[in-house]
Amino acid sequence: MIPDRNPAPEEFEGLSLSDQPPPPAEQYGLYGGEPVPPPPPISSDGVVALDVMGRFRKAAKTLEPGELIKDGYFSLMDSVASIEIMDPKMDSGCLGPGETLEEGYDVTRPLRAEQVIGIIDQLLCHEMAWHLGYPLSQTLFTNVYIEGILMPMPNTIEQADFVRDQPGHDPMLAVLRAYCLGLLKACYHVNERIKGEHYYEEEDFVTNTYHRSLLDRIDEAAIRQVITNARTSLRSGICTDTLLADALDSRLRLREEFLNAIQLSEDRNNSADSIKAPWIELEQILETINRSHALGTSVPEAFSTKIQRKLASTMPPRPIVQLRFEDTYGHFKHMFADGREVTDVLAYTDSESLLNFVLHFQAKRPQPLVYIRTLLQSYLFKDMIILGRLSIRHIMDDDLSTLVLPASPLLDPTNDAFESAPHSPQFQLANRMELFRQRAAQSYLDVFRAICQNRCRIRRTLCHSIQDWENVQLDAEEVDQVLALETNEAAMSWPRPTSPPSHSLSLSSWAYLYKLKLMQWIVQLGFELDIYAPDELAGMYWYLSLLTRTRSQHVQRIQAFAEKNVREVLRTRKLSEEEEMQFDRAANYWRGSLLDAAVTCQLADALSSIYIVLGRLGLVTPPPRPYSTDEMRYNVRMKPFGVIGLPELPTYETFKEAALQPKLSVAQLLDAATSALEGAKRGFKAMERFDEDESFARGVTYERFKADLAGSHKSAIAAGLTIMMLRKALGEKVSRNTETGEGGGKELGLKVEIKAPSQRYHECWVVPGLVKVPSKDSGASTGN
Amino acid sequence: MAESGRLEKLPAELRYIQYEHGLESQYLPAIRALISKDLSEPYSIYVYRYFLYQWGHLCFMALDPTDSSLVGVIICKLETHASHSPMTLRGYIAMLAVSSAYRGHGVATALVKRAIDAMALRDADEIVLETEESNIPAMRLYERLGFLRSKKLHRYYLNGSSAYRLVLQLKPPEIERVVEPALGEAEVSEVVVAAS
Ligand SMILES: CC(C)(COP(=O)(O)OP(=O)(O)OC[C@H]1O[C@@H](n2cnc3c(N)ncnc32)[C@H](O)[C@@H]1OP(=O)(O)O)[C@@H](O)C(=O)NCCC(=O)NCCS
Repeated sequence: MIPDRNPAPEEFEGLSLSDQPPPPAEQYGLYGGEPVPPPPPISSDGVVALDVMGRFRKAAKTLEPGELIKDGYFSLMDSVASIEIMDPKMDSGCLGPGETLEEGYDVTRPLRAEQVIGIIDQLLCHEMAWHLGYPLSQTLFTNVYIEGILMPMPNTIEQADFVRDQPGHDPMLAVLRAYCLGLLKACYHVNERIKGEHYYEEEDFVTNTYHRSLLDRIDEAAIRQVITNARTSLRSGICTDTLLADALDSRLRLREEFLNAIQLSEDRNNSADSIKAPWIELEQILETINRSHALGTSVPEAFSTKIQRKLASTMPPRPIVQLRFEDTYGHFKHMFADGREVTDVLAYTDSESLLNFVLHFQAKRPQPLVYIRTLLQSYLFKDMIILGRLSIRHIMDDDLSTLVLPASPLLDPTNDAFESAPHSPQFQLANRMELFRQRAAQSYLDVFRAICQNRCRIRRTLCHSIQDWENVQLDAEEVDQVLALETNEAAMSWPRPTSPPSHSLSLSSWAYLYKLKLMQWIVQLGFELDIYAPDELAGMYWYLSLLTRTRSQHVQRIQAFAEKNVREVLRTRKLSEEEEMQFDRAANYWRGSLLDAAVTCQLADALSSIYIVLGRLGLVTPPPRPYSTDEMRYNVRMKPFGVIGLPELPTYETFKEAALQPKLSVAQLLDAATSALEGAKRGFKAMERFDEDESFARGVTYERFKADLAGSHKSAIAAGLTIMMLRKALGEKVSRNTETGEGGGKELGLKVEIKAPSQRYHECWVVPGLVKVPSKDSGASTGN
Repeated sequence: MAESGRLEKLPAELRYIQYEHGLESQYLPAIRALISKDLSEPYSIYVYRYFLYQWGHLCFMALDPTDSSLVGVIICKLETHASHSPMTLRGYIAMLAVSSAYRGHGVATALVKRAIDAMALRDADEIVLETEESNIPAMRLYERLGFLRSKKLHRYYLNGSSAYRLVLQLKPPEIERVVEPALGEAEVSEVVVAAS
């Protein structure tokens, strides 16, 4: 079905492109006395107003019903955005017979403490619904008190009240007002933070405020004072029931602490501990709120869809989003914990650990909310200063030295000091390296930005990034060749003594390594997002294994040349302490990277073999697909990789051979899978012994690294069980030496179960399960 | 999905006809009603006219022969897709629905096949569509015909649910190859992947 809203533009998936601003809210709807931008002057010099209604009607009469008059720019999205005037389901301004526009709810009526709690808890639900991606119009803006505060637009703190022009205030209403003010100010900050970073409007979040101002002009200190006063009044006995008074107080404290959390996180240079403190506080307050939720009495009349009619929008009336309090609580719990955890990114050690932090943080389930994800982006990139204190050059040089150039004169910061000698070789080197950094910086930072997006977008964005990295690689190669000449680098034959001699090509190697990693992530995200059909899995795991094998080989090449270059340095002098450290770090990186490539490759190989067997046995059967051929689908599936020159996409014939393995028998395939699994399990065991330095994962990331590894390890064990069941069933049926297994699965009385991503040990490892069934209805099923 | 009111057997051979503008007053209200039934938000009449007025020949209806009432409908468009190089002629299945009593008898499959045939005849390079990730019947139907999921779209619909983009390639794509980087010249060796 076509989308029922304007989706974020899909064609611009590159991150470096500036964001599309949200479409301007149309000048439609009732403004309820709100000062709106004035209409264009109807009469001015040289403009003669003319009533065209007569002509319009006449022209319209010549049309057949259903004829469409449009210019070439009228798109599908324009038609989706159009509404039918006077249709009550679409026209929010349309009143039914006897219906009035006014609410009929008296915001000045006194409220009991229980009711205030009920309203606040409902507001909490709406606030969370907004965080989850629903618009304000269906959430917070359905509340009559919020509407009363925002309309007409207040200019002073006194005006920011749903009870205006009435001296004195019911103290319970004052508590509710204080809560609302703190809430709206927080929403203002959240909205601005999100708008300032990369996110997808409507898909991740709706920033539209429908011409309402979220108290941006009201002084925050004044709002805090209102909250303080309300808390004081609670303590001075306006509510005699201390349980109720405490419940209200904890809700006001939540508003205070949330503002604190926002304020501290705006300045990354605060100590990580002080940034963390309010998030920890919020986690505790949330528990108190959850415990006292039952004290509240809900006031459903205080929420109404009618308010939507007053918003500056052409949107049809839409129902109020109903998020349950238990779910709201769960989401806030995650949000506050994530807010606390994300500050750990500020503790920088090296670029690879930074990348791993972001990768693992974003892989959390549920994925952190968009506000937290934009907070992470702001910690990382705000003002082009990384983590508030590092230059882009600093982390890029860290990265180059870790991956490809440890202890290299190319990265020696003292080269810069030769500025005064522009012809010196050192200055030439510094200059070339700087040009390269400028060329590659955007692509490099975009990797971090990409993984801060929602999971679907990460995959889509990376499909474009790999083309970008291909260009970086080609440009880097030119720099590499010049550098080899200027540094008199000796060529080396690799991988064999008989191979043609080559230079290290370090910078292009670095780019190629990123490209390979990104390609691997794209394939893995495909498993995670359930993109592949069951009968595609054998081929896709084979391709994953090919990519990791290529990466492994590339890392070996990098290592060989980097070691050779260091040996050359060692011929003339000893390494400095800093250089020793760099070399050790790089050695850790290579080792970890090789091991990771090896286990991924082997587990992928094993799963590929298992799926081939399941295909042979008829346990995974492809649908008939009368309109498609295997080759056409290969083209579709591999489209993102088809444009990449290196690694070159295997031809369809190669792929087919690999995904079917026609020369191997079922028994041979199962043997191959078993030995690959043994290798993978050995590798996982070795990686489980990694410390923080070896894994480039620190603190909470180290825990995640271990958990991730454990998930993969368990997947390997589960794959072993599947093989065992297959062997057993086959052994019972046919003698192992003669069978080909072809289509024999039906008689095995087995059925394949493919688990939904969230049910797997690891989302990227789709281990097929086997269940016994009466032999009639065996076949593949995608259990969800 | 309400299975209860389903017909055991189709009443008689259904009639499949191509939409044309002259049928608007007779069938547009029924088309809208049928499509809207499974939607949380109605599309305005302009959305239907946008498709039907421009690509009526890519809209097919299944009719009950006894009273010519509408049983199922498919609505599509076919346009060049400019943001791609090389340019592709892309078909798009916008809407598909079968009246719940008539489901499970291949009506939707027959409609989709007619639409694919019509678009292939007009030289379409590919056909795409989106469907809610939880709409298993729709996904099975398309995948059975040869569509592949190409990407997942986060929170694609107003109700917050995500979608899959499905693609059916009808002609082989032209791929422009880029220059081969020097690292590619290294010969492929046996790679040692055995864990330490
Ligand atoms: C999705 C939808 C269009 C399917 O309509 P349908 O007519 O039931 O579809 P089909 O009959 O072609 O296919 C459904 C099943 O009937 C089976 N079938 C196909 N031909 C058949 C035949 N001649 N006789 C009996 N069964 C048949 C199919 O194998 C399929 O089985 P499956 O459930 O194992 O996949 C329908 O459910 C619908 O209108 N849903 C609401 C709107 C919607 O979701 N639209 C799609 C959005 S893109």
